[in-house]
Amino acid sequence: MIEIDVSTERDIAVVVPRGRLNMVAAKQLRETLAEVVAGGTNRVVVDLGETTFLDSSGLGALVSGLKAARQAGGDLRVARPTPEVLAVFQLTNIDKVLRPRPDVASAFDV
Amino acid sequence: MSEPTGRPVARLELPADPEALDTAHDALDAAWVEHPEIGTGERLRFVTALMEILGNVVEHAYAVDARADERRLAVVIDGDGAGGLRGRIEDNGQPAALDLSDVVMPDADAESGRGLALAIAALDDLSYERVGSRNVWTLRCERRP
Repeated sequence: MIEIDVSTERDIAVVVPRGRLNMVAAKQLRETLAEVVAGGTNRVVVDLGETTFLDSSGLGALVSGLKAARQAGGDLRVARPTPEVLAVFQLTNIDKVLRPRPDVASAFDV
Repeated sequence: MSEPTGRPVARLELPADPEALDTAHDALDAAWVEHPEIGTGERLRFVTALMEILGNVVEHAYAVDARADERRLAVVIDGDGAGGLRGRIEDNGQPAALDLSDVVMPDADAESGRGLALAIAALDDLSYERVGSRNVWTLRCERRP
């Protein structure tokens, strides 16, 4: 089961999936990210510090959100990945398009 | 069904629906306490692959009109006695039309198609065969130094 918190600060949305980002939860994350971008916020940070598990559908949801944000002239960044999440990033080479940032606050600084 | 040999970690019989993923994940999280010989790296690689295969089965193995109450999964997971894991997943769905040797990791900007590639990358061996009216997936995850 997962909870996804969304907050917006200085025009940057912070999305926090808490729990396992598996096939069931990924649909929810995909919809949440689409809604955030459609709502007019094109800079999004997904805080993965409380994501205890990530699968290929969760990765797909992140890539989908990344594309939506870029199409809207912004970007999506991921921050604070747990070791579980980082392992999957490395196994799939997704870090080429989603470079993990050490913290949420500075995710859009560079 | 009890093919893998070694120290039993989990035996599950459950409906082949999306909830099976969390049920199996919960069962394994609870089982690890009894298996300190299996390291966190091996647990993570194995669970990653297991969830991809279970996800693949519940999404693709059944015809849309297959009765929900007849879709069944069986999962057997054992320790290999050397810090690694063996798993076997059986379902009563349709045969999978795939050749695992053809599976490649899609480009980084793909939104789907990573599941089996991720499972293969996480494991030391993954195989699929059709046995009678069942699909059988076997997973092998060795301890890595």
